[in-house]
Amino acid sequence: MQINGEWLLCDDNIIRPVIRGHILDGHGAWIHAPFLVDTGADRTVFSAPVLVALSFQPTLSPERLGGVGGIVTPVVIETQMRFRHEAGRGTVVFRGQFAAVTEREALDMSVLGRDITGLFALIIDQPGNVVCLLGQRHRYAIEQE
Amino acid sequence: MTDHHPPIIMEEVTDPVELAKAQAQWERCDRNTAWLQAHASEIYPRYRGKCICIASEELFVADMPEEVLALAKAAHPEDDGFFLHYIPREKVARIYAN
Repeated sequence: MQINGEWLLCDDNIIRPVIRGHILDGHGAWIHAPFLVDTGADRTVFSAPVLVALSFQPTLSPERLGGVGGIVTPVVIETQMRFRHEAGRGTVVFRGQFAAVTEREALDMSVLGRDITGLFALIIDQPGNVVCLLGQRHRYAIEQE
Repeated sequence: MTDHHPPIIMEEVTDPVELAKAQAQWERCDRNTAWLQAHASEIYPRYRGKCICIASEELFVADMPEEVLALAKAAHPEDDGFFLHYIPREKVARIYAN
């Protein structure tokens, strides 16, 4: 399985590794959401605008999230995320509990954490213009010219 | 957060109808993303601190996500590939790790 991402230009003129997915909302529709691929994030976390778009009644998380900005108490929702793979020919769904922040400034973009990326080999290669998750029958090789 | 986290279940979608619907939605998502990337240098500096939403390759801007979603959905109710985003007030180096 190969889930491709891309390098997206952000508001500060920096390009960052992003994998775009869909999240199932409270009405059964899929919402488009870009995820920053963050190798340092333990958990996948939805941004505040995405949380609003999902129209869920979230519950306060018993666990907290910590980072450079301090510690916040997120909310959690039980939902699904889906990503396309094999150049769009397939779709993979992840079901589970995911955290979300409620403050807009806490996260400008949802974050794909190691609860998802840890299931795959992750390639983030800016010079080579590659962002992808590899699993199952897909492998990578490191070569020297 | 601790490691006592409910497991995440991964499943492959095999229903051809669902796959076709997802593919059609992806095409709308791709168009809106490409439009934002093409206009990023104009939009990001102009709308700091605002929520933006791109639907059918049209920009909508509001203070709150609820407002911008309402604007975009009223104008383009058919576009389920909208791109919703908050532009931070300040342009600062970011460390996301948590």
